[in-house]
Amino acid sequence: MAIIETKGLTKGYGDICALKPLDLSVPEGEWLSVMGHSGSGKSTLMNMMGGLDRPTGGSLTVNGQDLLSLTEDGLARFRREFVGIIFQQHHLVPYLSALENVMLSQYFHSVPDEAEAKLALERVGLGHRLKNRPGELSGGEQQRVCIARAIINSPKLLLGDEPTGNLDHKSTMMVLELLRELREEDRFTVVLVTHNQEVAAWGDRTIYLDDGVLVREERVRN
Amino acid sequence: MKRLLAALWRAISSRALLPLVLGFFLLAYIVIAFFTDEALITLIALTGKNFLLAGVLALIPLNCLCRIVLEARRGLARRRALKNAQPLPDPALYDESVELSSAAPAGDLEQRLTDAGYRTWKNGELLSAWRGVSLWPVRLLFLAGLLCLFGGILISVTSRQVSRQPMIEGVPFQAPSGQGGFIQRIVLRNADGPILLKELLMEVSGSEQGGSFRTFGVYPPALFGGAFVYPRYLGIALTYRFTAPDLPAGFQDNGVFPIYPPGREAQLPLGGAPYKVHLTLAKSQDGSDPYMTGSMEFVAKVVKGNDQLFTGTVKGGGELVRDGIKLAIIDARRMVVTDFVVDYGVLSIWLAGFLFTLGACLWLPVRLFLPRREMVFSWEGGGVLARSRAEGSARRHTGVFHEVLDVIAAEHA
Amino acid sequence: MLALKLFPHLFAFFGVALLMLRAFPGRRRLIVCSVAAGFAAGGLGTLFLILNVPGKFPFDLIRGVLGASFFLFWGVAVAALYRSSERVVAGVSKPLPRPLIPMLSAVVGGGLAGAVAATRLSGIDSLLVPVLLLAGGGILMAAGAWWGELWLPASITVSRPGLFAAVVSLLLFSASSILRLDLFSPLSMKVMKGTHDFVHQFMESVLIPDHIFVRPKIWGYIGLLFSKEVGFWGGMIIWFTPVLLVALAIRLELLPSVAHIRQGAQRRKLLAAAIREKRLRLVVPAVALFFFGCAAYRSSFPTVEYWDPKPLPVVASPSGEIFIPRKGEVELEDGKLHKYLFKKGTQEVRFFVMVSPATGKLTVDLDACAICKPDGYGQAEGSVICYYCKTLIPLETVGMPGGCNPVPVKFIEKEDGAHIDAVTLVNSWTGTVQSTAKKEAAK
Repeated sequence: MAIIETKGLTKGYGDICALKPLDLSVPEGEWLSVMGHSGSGKSTLMNMMGGLDRPTGGSLTVNGQDLLSLTEDGLARFRREFVGIIFQQHHLVPYLSALENVMLSQYFHSVPDEAEAKLALERVGLGHRLKNRPGELSGGEQQRVCIARAIINSPKLLLGDEPTGNLDHKSTMMVLELLRELREEDRFTVVLVTHNQEVAAWGDRTIYLDDGVLVREERVRN
Repeated sequence: MKRLLAALWRAISSRALLPLVLGFFLLAYIVIAFFTDEALITLIALTGKNFLLAGVLALIPLNCLCRIVLEARRGLARRRALKNAQPLPDPALYDESVELSSAAPAGDLEQRLTDAGYRTWKNGELLSAWRGVSLWPVRLLFLAGLLCLFGGILISVTSRQVSRQPMIEGVPFQAPSGQGGFIQRIVLRNADGPILLKELLMEVSGSEQGGSFRTFGVYPPALFGGAFVYPRYLGIALTYRFTAPDLPAGFQDNGVFPIYPPGREAQLPLGGAPYKVHLTLAKSQDGSDPYMTGSMEFVAKVVKGNDQLFTGTVKGGGELVRDGIKLAIIDARRMVVTDFVVDYGVLSIWLAGFLFTLGACLWLPVRLFLPRREMVFSWEGGGVLARSRAEGSARRHTGVFHEVLDVIAAEHA
Repeated sequence: MLALKLFPHLFAFFGVALLMLRAFPGRRRLIVCSVAAGFAAGGLGTLFLILNVPGKFPFDLIRGVLGASFFLFWGVAVAALYRSSERVVAGVSKPLPRPLIPMLSAVVGGGLAGAVAATRLSGIDSLLVPVLLLAGGGILMAAGAWWGELWLPASITVSRPGLFAAVVSLLLFSASSILRLDLFSPLSMKVMKGTHDFVHQFMESVLIPDHIFVRPKIWGYIGLLFSKEVGFWGGMIIWFTPVLLVALAIRLELLPSVAHIRQGAQRRKLLAAAIREKRLRLVVPAVALFFFGCAAYRSSFPTVEYWDPKPLPVVASPSGEIFIPRKGEVELEDGKLHKYLFKKGTQEVRFFVMVSPATGKLTVDLDACAICKPDGYGQAEGSVICYYCKTLIPLETVGMPGGCNPVPVKFIEKEDGAHIDAVTLVNSWTGTVQSTAKKEAAK
């Protein structure tokens, strides 16, 4: 069963067409890598899937919800309850501890629960860094806090926009390994935007965008 | 019969009984207030005399007693459940109760709970964890306070006896119990306590010649012959003689007059003479209290018919003579109007006050800083029965409880 | 003008209807019909009473019912607080009450609103237009509630205690603009007396020493309990506590148990929804609190203008008699109180003379009562009011002693007027004022 379904999905900014009509189906539980060079429309696609941006045409259904028909409140609720997002820049609150950053996500979702937040950080291997602020963590650790923050509300869809773009090779591998483990345990769907072939290879399928057009699709053999 | 008794127990130990009875008396007060301005006094008098009303009031201490028994049993059951898997405690004793599939207790659960600040106990298939101090004893203290308060009110309302009599310096007295004594001295002096401004001492001996010697103060009231000695008002006992040109035989009498503090006025009875003498205790020139010093001077206003004849001062033991009229204060002594109160409910009400204060002093810090939190997990037949309760900081405690449950469930999966 | 006077009562009815509709969802037609029928029945019944039972009985009856509903509300509030510690099982919705309960609630609520509104029409000669105005207003308000309820956000729900709180607050708000139905001022008076009695009784019961032994500062604190402010603040406490208890009961309600759910986010979502639902349920008690406040304010600062003539100076004859003629400069039989001032040396005595509607005879009373400071009385709407404590004394009871009634003075009534003994008058004034002054000094 598909968790994401697009039909003729387009996005334009004035005269510029960032995404040309796209038909795509992502089955539940799949790890989809989206590749393409800068300006190819991969981040635009991810933003629309996550309800961060609205398409200008076509249809987009995520988890059975037609995102075009949702109001701003509905979109916010959708983001809160179904989507977890990891960015290249970690966007952690610098004056809050790792634990508090995760609890902040709980707060915006429902109510904070310290024990559960601790457990999430333990799952990403940061049980010993609960009280540390982002500035006291390495890049890899910061990205793991972001993963804990993204998964704390049990999303059905985890979106990553170059999540390893700022990491060295070792940290990249650790983060990707962690994402794989978590996906196996929690069975969420992953859509990962990257321009790194090695990172894309961790997915089940890779699509290639060029100038807003889906040009190629290949299934990865692990 | 058993069902009837159980129903009776449920009713008499119900939490709703106390507000219901209080509501009943409030309603009675409102109804009485429609008919008289002295609603409270009337209600107290009615309750004291009427067996039915007293019976309704008696439901409160009875209810408190039953709740003490009930809550003590519940508290003990909760304590037992921390270290004994059997018998299973009543789920109503806990905030949350849940059953999960789980084969056996995992090794790191204890560590997880210890890390979260809990003390743990593991015995075979039972794992319990707790932190903080239980408010259960304070709750019992509060219930005991209520028992004492309403028990005291019940005793007081139904059995209080008050006998008022003047205690005069240098005069024997007899308490209602028949026991008596001799007032050797009455002393009023300034006190330096935080509450009392003046201290009153009545020094009493067994007889005029001496014998057993006791001193009665203002507070707390002492017991004499089974009755509390409760000084109410101060006054002066006077022996006086009044003569006038048209009353040559004169009139002599003695009596007690509530003319303290200085300025309060009393009228001397003159046996039907056409004169009236209004007497007040004069303020001392030096500002001292005449009752304390014993140096008493009186201001007398003599009136005949509607005409005021004259005003003058007269010392204790002295005379005031004007226009052939003579007022002699033959003797003036300190006097205390005293109630002898036979009421053991007072002791119970005092005790209630002490218990409430103690309870409040214990409750506040415990509730704020050390609230009790407990969780119990018992494994049996491939499943775990988990229970949890918190008297404060419930959200955080619940989080830990849920986390442990998640770990147990994850391990089973 | 009458429409303006009826507005608070019609508004209260609108509120009652709106609340009933929201509290019993799924029975809109039944509720709106019941509440309107109740309003009509209550209004007509009251008018019938006012027209056929002269005097204060209809007002006393309605005020008694309002007082009883407030007392009952206290019981509901305490019960709500007691029940707040019971856990609501998640997912188990409360069964819809049988139609009888919503219908009865709507009829009683509407009926009381109608009864209070109809008292506003007392004393009007031609009733046709006012009755039509009231009936039309009632229909309009019921229809308004019908439509208004549809516009209310669905998330605002009404708990049973919340419904009770809001309906009682609206009824008391409505009643507070009618002097003879007002509950707050008499409540304050009763609280003052009750507190005074209770403190006195308590001190005697536990054998606490008299004030001469106690430091003035400490006694000053005890004295606060004997002040007039105790009546006001005690009245405020009794007035507002039940609605605060209802709010507290909602606040203390246990959240549903979510221990059986094994996904943290779902648990938290359920808890957040329960917390939000609890907070929204506080809206109605908050509204009730507002209307209780309005009622207390209107009671303390009534907008009624009182008949309060300037006291006319009088003198005593050489034999010590003060004579107030029945007719002359002042017509004693015009149904109004007439104030006089008598001076003897430095002593000034204020008193008033009027015809008692109960006996048809003259009554002479001090412009002071045996409880309060002698601030005097004013007359309005079938009663006199004590300016000090705002207690309303029905005209029928003026001339009788007790409570906050003006202190009656002995006099001789003759055909030509009232003959009062000056000494009796002065002694009566001195005794009364000295006694109330002592109470003031005790503060």
